[in-house]
Amino acid sequence: MASTACFVIVSRNDIPIYEAEVGSALKKEEAAHQHQFILHAALDIVQDLAWTTSAMFLKAMDRFSDLVVSVYVTAGTIS
Amino acid sequence: MNTRGVKHKDFGGLDNGDDRAAFLNHAYKPLSQFVLDDTFREFEFRQYLFACQSKLLFKLNRPVEVASRGYSFIISYSKALSRHENKLPFCFREVWIISACLALINATVSRYDGGLVTPDVEKEFFRLQGDLYSLSRVKFMRLAYLIGYGMDIEKSPANSAALSMLSWPRPAVWPSVPPDASTRVAAKEKLLQSSPKAKHFGIQRKPLPLEPSSLLREANRRRASLSAGNIFELFDGQHNLTPKDGPGADGSPMTPPPNKIPVSSMSRTNSGPVHFENSSLIRSPVDRPMKLSEVHVAAEHALNATISDPDLLKALSSVHDFELKYLDLTKGAAENYNRSWWKRHGVVLDGEIAAVCYRHGNYDLAAKSYEKVCALYAGEGWQNLLAEVLPNLAECQKILNDHAGYLASCVKLLSLDKGLFLVQERQAFESEVVRLAHSEMKHPVPLDVSSLITFSGNPGPPLELCDGDPGTLSVTVWSGFPDEISLESLTLTLIATFSADEGVKVIKSSSALVLKPGRNDVTLPLPPQRPGSYVLGVLTGQIGNLRFRSHSYSRGGPPDSDDFMSFEKPIRPVLKVSKPRPLVDLSAAISSALLMNEAQWVGLIVRPIDYSLKGAILHIDTGPGLKIEESHMIEMESCNEAFEGFGQIRNSNNISTDNSSTGGGGYERLPLIDGKLKLPDWASNLTSVLWLPVRAIDDRLLMGTSAVISQRQNIVDGMRTIALKLEFGVSHNQTFERTVAVHFTYPLYVSTRVSDKCKDGTLLLQVVLHSQVKATLTICDAWMDLQGGFVHVGKDDGRPTPGFFPLSICPSSRAGIMFCIRLGSTTNGDESELLKSHSILNIRYRISGDRALGAHSPMVHDGQDASTGSRELLFKSAIVLQRPVLEPSLAVGFLPLPSDGLRVGKLVSMRWRVERLKDIEGEAPSIHDGEVLYEVDANPENWMIAGRKRGHVSLSLEQGSRIVISVICVPLVAGYVRPPQLGLPDVDVTNISCNPAGPHLICVLPPTLSSSFCIPV
Repeated sequence: MASTACFVIVSRNDIPIYEAEVGSALKKEEAAHQHQFILHAALDIVQDLAWTTSAMFLKAMDRFSDLVVSVYVTAGTIS
Repeated sequence: MNTRGVKHKDFGGLDNGDDRAAFLNHAYKPLSQFVLDDTFREFEFRQYLFACQSKLLFKLNRPVEVASRGYSFIISYSKALSRHENKLPFCFREVWIISACLALINATVSRYDGGLVTPDVEKEFFRLQGDLYSLSRVKFMRLAYLIGYGMDIEKSPANSAALSMLSWPRPAVWPSVPPDASTRVAAKEKLLQSSPKAKHFGIQRKPLPLEPSSLLREANRRRASLSAGNIFELFDGQHNLTPKDGPGADGSPMTPPPNKIPVSSMSRTNSGPVHFENSSLIRSPVDRPMKLSEVHVAAEHALNATISDPDLLKALSSVHDFELKYLDLTKGAAENYNRSWWKRHGVVLDGEIAAVCYRHGNYDLAAKSYEKVCALYAGEGWQNLLAEVLPNLAECQKILNDHAGYLASCVKLLSLDKGLFLVQERQAFESEVVRLAHSEMKHPVPLDVSSLITFSGNPGPPLELCDGDPGTLSVTVWSGFPDEISLESLTLTLIATFSADEGVKVIKSSSALVLKPGRNDVTLPLPPQRPGSYVLGVLTGQIGNLRFRSHSYSRGGPPDSDDFMSFEKPIRPVLKVSKPRPLVDLSAAISSALLMNEAQWVGLIVRPIDYSLKGAILHIDTGPGLKIEESHMIEMESCNEAFEGFGQIRNSNNISTDNSSTGGGGYERLPLIDGKLKLPDWASNLTSVLWLPVRAIDDRLLMGTSAVISQRQNIVDGMRTIALKLEFGVSHNQTFERTVAVHFTYPLYVSTRVSDKCKDGTLLLQVVLHSQVKATLTICDAWMDLQGGFVHVGKDDGRPTPGFFPLSICPSSRAGIMFCIRLGSTTNGDESELLKSHSILNIRYRISGDRALGAHSPMVHDGQDASTGSRELLFKSAIVLQRPVLEPSLAVGFLPLPSDGLRVGKLVSMRWRVERLKDIEGEAPSIHDGEVLYEVDANPENWMIAGRKRGHVSLSLEQGSRIVISVICVPLVAGYVRPPQLGLPDVDVTNISCNPAGPHLICVLPPTLSSSFCIPV
């Protein structure tokens, strides 16, 4: 099954500073919007979780249908 | 349940009313009876267990925990429902989840008082509420889409993400069209044919999908597989695609199929019309493929059979009711997410509410909600999402006549990443801006285009100007507009970096300009600024009636390529205005004197000090006693050439600094027009010498120079001034004024003396010539016109020996000429010669000098000044000769003193004898009367005089008459003292012969001893 992943680096001000779509699936025009929407919404969860755990890597912290969101938060709160 | 020996139990859920979740109602079904009947079913039992659990938790006043556990229960229970979906009624799972979520919400909210809970727990509660609302909302949208209300669901990223990743229901048999449904099919057909809402600005973007795959294809495929007996695909559909629920919801997507049924080679998503056509060949003609409207009617029919909840039935009965319920759920979700501080979830749902408001013409509310969404996305820089919502906001603002907001939205749209919109779409945004800018706005508003138009100074060092200079500032303006845009004006502010109270300076472009997309180089005229360093402030401009401003600096790149941290960079100065400093120097080229009354070149050194004199104009105004020879042109040459070989001059004038850089010199003759002179371009950056032809005028020449009376010629008499004013700079804004003093002199200074007196009455008149100039003078001829009473000895022409000439006089040296004269008869000669009181010395000379040094040969005519010595000049000097007195008329003799010597305190008689030697004419009247005035002069410290010191004595007019004048004196001090002198004030001293002369000093003895001072012992 073709899989796709979206990799985004988000600054401490929640601004996306790098974005890349990786994966073998054919790119769909709407995928970018959906990924952005899901990742942006996941920031709500990151902001809650980041201060409740000492771990920097938050594995599968959010799921949206069959998409899983994992996040690595740096000490400078860059995700 | 599949264990051998255990009776297989049905899952349940097929009873009437089972679609309504009963997991909070433990008394929904008589469970004890089921146990007795051995009709125990999982469906009821799990709900029963949770109901008991929730009852206890409610009794413990823990509604938050009920909500949390309930949400988990719903998720896990929905998985169980999905496993049995093919045995359950159509969309049973979705209907159950909706009712479960709403039941849980109602139960927990009614028991939650928000009293004694921590803020975190409260947040968690509202977040759960939001999740529940959101989950039910998604399921509700899915049902609505199945029955044909998809056109009323906003194709937003949120809805699309929720629905397009949610698989279709998988009933055992896709419902078929009920009989006699033609009217309903027609109605659905009509609903579907309503044209989709056109995007604003003609945005051509493909709408985001709301379905995981084509519903028409899915429905027909499921019907076709059934008729073809393709049972594998059913299993495939059951196991391979585990259904998922809403955001942040259920289930592992990687659940492997429990049984190893081979996966069909036909992917679900690949089942297209072709496949459908093929499979339809073996299908009964009754199962013809359904149209989409029929699919909706069939789904609606099946759903009506599934749903027992009248409220839900009503909500799905019409588009209007659907929207009401949809709004209800969306508002609930948004409100709870906002209260739980999940602003992103909340604001996004606010945007969905705004879409409904917009559809119903409630633009005010829609705009407010869209503004919140746009502010969130724009603030966090999620441009893809912003690009979806911002056109909607713009449209609302346009309808509401909110010009300021609409323009700002258009600018924001233009400043988004270029890849997000087509060129035509961006052009549409720009045309809207231009259209509004040129329309009549009731309340013109300034527009901030910082994100669209950025500016920076040119790379490289800042523009450096001298104080008082205007300039041209070149700035780079980056335009983010897709097309050229014409500006009525463009202004920039300059902010001084050295002091805050200086205020801002505004510079404005002189004319309208057109900004191209991308980089534009704009030049702005810069008026003179005060000294200091300046940075760019704000860019403002005008498009039509619209004033815009930009605060955004770019570092040499287009606005979008600049990173977002650029505003934190230190700002580079673009302009430096230096403090006032001398820019040019005007000075006299030489310090030595020039020839008076002759045409001479005055050198003026024009020295630019690191400043161009291009186009400079020199005003020349000569002072009194000096005029410019207009018959000659002014010459200009480079300083190097003018002073070649005269290093000392160059050093003394300190002009060697900038000459080395400007190798090539120049020479030009320039006209002087109305006292103004335009400097040539070649001399702009070059130290050059300006040669002015001038003539100093001294009217006293006719009177002659009195060589006898004044020892030296007064320097001030030869001083002349030239007032210079140089206008230079880019717009002649700089001026430099200086008055240059030039010293003029006659070539020679003459002093005379009578060196000898011969017995024959011949006088030797020595004339000493002092050279006054730094040039070699060659005396060619000299003669003297004597005043009356004197005549030359020998030849009558009054010239010295002819072989004496030419006589060369070096600078600063002197020479002498001797004339032999004697007293002559005053009777010969005419009357005028008798009256002449001065002798005139005439000297014909040549001068050999260089104008770079000082005095030089006057120019004869234009251009031939250098032929030194070619012209003889005449120098005249007046000399006053005094006739000597050879025959005195009176003789004064000092008679001898007594032989016993003089003592202090002892009276002594001083006697003088006055004798008339001859009769003379023209003496004082007293003499004619036989009276002579005398005066005795004595030092009162040495002498006490008794008697008349001054008085008249009678002296006969006859020759040889004599008289003795005596005065009694007492010496006061001992020693050699000067005796009293007799003077005759009325008689000229030359007419008195003192022969023999009186003694210069006489001896006075101390006083004799007096006995009265002796005291006997």
